[in-house]
Amino acid sequence: MKKKWISLLLTGLMAVSLLAGCGKSGDKSSTDGDTSSDDVVVINYPTFQCGVNTAAPVVAQLVEEFNEEYKGQYKIVLEEVPGDANYVDKIKVQLGTGDLPPVVYGGGYNLLDLALANDLVVDLTEVVNADSEWKGLYSDAALEANSRDGKIYASSVEGSVIGYFYNKDLFAEAGIEEPAKSWDEFFEQCDKLKAAGITPLAMDTADSAWVTQLWWGAMVATANEDGLKFMETMNPDDYNTPEMIASVEKIQKMLQEYTTTDAVGGKYENAANNFLSGQVAMIANGPWMIGDFSDTDKTSEGFADKVGSAIYPDSFVYDAPIQGYFVTKQSDPKVEEAAIAMVKFFTSEHAQELGLESQGMVPAASSVEVSKAATEKYPLLAEFLDQTAEATVRSDNMQATMYSNLLDVVSQELPRLHSGELDAEAFCQVLTDAAAKNE
Amino acid sequence: MKKKKGWIPVFLLPTVVLFLLIYAIPLGMVFVTSLFNYRLSSPEMTFIGLDNYIRLFNDSDFYMALKNTVIWILIQCTVHVALGTLLALLLYKKPRGWKFIRTAYMVPNIISNAAIGMIFLNIFNPQFGVINSLLKAVGLEHMTRNWLMDVNTAFPSVTLVWVLFAGYTTTLVLAQALSLDEAVLEAAKVDGASGFQTDVFVVLPLLKKIIGTTMVMAATYMLQMFDLIYITSGGGPGKATTNLPLLLYGVYKGENNYGYANTIGVIIVLLGILCMTIINKAMKVNSDDY
Repeated sequence: MKKKWISLLLTGLMAVSLLAGCGKSGDKSSTDGDTSSDDVVVINYPTFQCGVNTAAPVVAQLVEEFNEEYKGQYKIVLEEVPGDANYVDKIKVQLGTGDLPPVVYGGGYNLLDLALANDLVVDLTEVVNADSEWKGLYSDAALEANSRDGKIYASSVEGSVIGYFYNKDLFAEAGIEEPAKSWDEFFEQCDKLKAAGITPLAMDTADSAWVTQLWWGAMVATANEDGLKFMETMNPDDYNTPEMIASVEKIQKMLQEYTTTDAVGGKYENAANNFLSGQVAMIANGPWMIGDFSDTDKTSEGFADKVGSAIYPDSFVYDAPIQGYFVTKQSDPKVEEAAIAMVKFFTSEHAQELGLESQGMVPAASSVEVSKAATEKYPLLAEFLDQTAEATVRSDNMQATMYSNLLDVVSQELPRLHSGELDAEAFCQVLTDAAAKNE
Repeated sequence: MKKKKGWIPVFLLPTVVLFLLIYAIPLGMVFVTSLFNYRLSSPEMTFIGLDNYIRLFNDSDFYMALKNTVIWILIQCTVHVALGTLLALLLYKKPRGWKFIRTAYMVPNIISNAAIGMIFLNIFNPQFGVINSLLKAVGLEHMTRNWLMDVNTAFPSVTLVWVLFAGYTTTLVLAQALSLDEAVLEAAKVDGASGFQTDVFVVLPLLKKIIGTTMVMAATYMLQMFDLIYITSGGGPGKATTNLPLLLYGVYKGENNYGYANTIGVIIVLLGILCMTIINKAMKVNSDDY
C-alpha cells in the first residue's frame, strides 16, 4: 500500500514538473516592460544590432547613456537576437500573440505596417509635434517613411544613401577615366573592362539578390517618370511595364556577360568577396561597406585607397530614411512613456552623430552635418555624400518597397533569367503573379 | 500471479499530457486554422471553409513542390535505403576493418545539416568548387556548369547532398542482422544454400521489418527536409528544388499567410500518414517474423 502511494506521489510530481513551464508567469519581470519594485521602469529591448552587427557599438553606447541619464526612472535591458532574419521572425511571432516589446526597430523590414494592421502601435504625432527639436529631425522623406494617414508612428535614426563603388586601378587598366554618366556609357565601360580581361560587375541572386537589385532598381528609376513612380510605390503589384521589362533585359545581359560565374546562386558575401579581392571592378552597395575596404581580415592592405565611389548613371542615387523605431501599446502607461523617451533618445541628433562618427552610418536628418572627425575617419563616405548632392533622381530601393514574398521569388527566378529559360517578359509576369498572392 | 495493470495509465499520464500539449493540440490547431483566412497583416481570423484548399489545388507551385517531395521520398526509400542495406550486408560478413567502416560511414550523419549544406555549396561552387575544378583538370571544361542553379542539374545535385549518407540505415540493419538466429542460417547451410542464396533468400527476408522501419525513417526525413535545400539551392532555380516544407516556409515568411501555410502543413501530415501506411503494409512491419 505504501509503495502505491509513493508511486502515485512520484507520478504526480513528474506531471507537475513537466508542466511547470507551460503557464504564463505572473512575475512581472518576465514581461517585455515592467515597473520594478523600486519604481524603475524596465524596457526589455530585443535587437539584432548586437555582436558583429555594424550598429552594435552605437546601440550599446546609447543604452549605456540612456540608462545613465534616466537613472532611477527608466532602464533598458538589451536582449540580443543575432541575425536580422531571426529578429524579424521573433517580432512576427510576437505580433501574432499581440505581445510586442515596448520598442521595435522597424529597419528595412516593414514591421511597422504589420504592427499597425494589428493596432499595436502608439501614435507619436502629438509628442513629436510638441517637441520642436525632435520634429526638426524629420525631413519630408523621413516623415513620409514613418507616417501613415497623416499620423507619425516612428522615428528614423539612419538614412539609406546608396550608390556604387569601383576599383580605380581596374578602371585605369581598362582606360576608363571616371564613372559613367549615362547607362549607355556604363555598358560601354563594362565592355571595355571585359575586353581588358576584367570582370566588370559583382552580382548575386541568393538572399533576395541585394546587389543585383540595386543595379536593377537604378535602371528602373531612371528609365522614365513611370519607372520612378514605380520605385516610389509601396508594394507595387504590376511588373509588366515597359520600363521594368527593359531593365530586366539589361539585368539578364549583366548576369550573362558582365559578372562572375558564382554570381548566379551566390550570396551578397560572394559578391563582396569578389570586389574586395580585386577580381571585379564595381559593386553596388551602401556606405556601410566602406569599413570593409580597410579591414585586413577581408581585403589586402591599402585596398581602401583603390576604391572610388559614385552615384548611378543618369544622376540617380538611392536616398531614403530607413524606417525607424516605433512604440507599441502596453498595458502600463508608464512603460509607454519610457518607450517614447527611449525612441526620442535613440533618434536624437546626438544618436545620429554618434552613428556617423562611430560607424559611418548616414544620419536620417539632413540637419546633422558630417563632422570633421567623421570626414577624417571616413573620407570615402564624405566624398560620396558630396557626390549625392549632384543627384537629381532619388528613390527608395526596390527591396524596401516590394512585397516580402517577392524577395524569395526574385532569388529563385534570377537563375532562370540568366539561363534564358525565362525572358524578361516572363520574369516580370512571374513577379506580377507572385505579387497577386498578397492581400 | 495476478498482474496489476491499473497503474499503467497513471504512469503514462505525464507522457500523454505532454504529447497532447506539444503535438496533438498544435496539430489540431493546424487543421482548424487551415480553414481560416489567418494573416499577420489582418487582426481578424475569418472562416473561409475550404478556400485555402481550393487555392492550393489550383497552385502550380504546390504541384511542383508535391512532385519534388514525392520523388525525393521515393529516392530516399529505394536508393538510400538500398545503399545502407547493401553496406550492412557487406559488413555483416565482418570483413577486415568492418567496425571502422561502420563508424566512418556514420560520420556524415552526425555532422549538422548546416555544415553538410555549406560543404556541398562549396563543392558545387561554379567558380572554385571541386567538381568544376576536377572537370577542368581533366580537360572537360565544356562540362562545367553551375550545378545547383542549372535547371537540368539542380535536382540531382541537391539529391546528392543527402542520398549517399545512409549511416542510420546501415547501423540499424547491421544490428538486426547480427542478432539473427544462427540456427536458421545453419539450417540454410545444411540445406546446401550458397552464401549469396542465404543472403537473398534467408537473411534479407528476415531483415524485412527493419528495412521497412528504415524506409519509414527515410520517408519522414524527406517530409521534414528543409535546411539542406534552403542552404544549397534555396528551392531554385524557379521551383526546381522546392519541396513542401520550403513552400510552407515561403508562404509563412513571405506572404505572412498562416492559414494557407497551415493548409500546406495539413497536406504534409496527410502525406506522412499515407507514406507510413503504404510502407508498413508493403513491408509488413507490424506482422510477426515467423
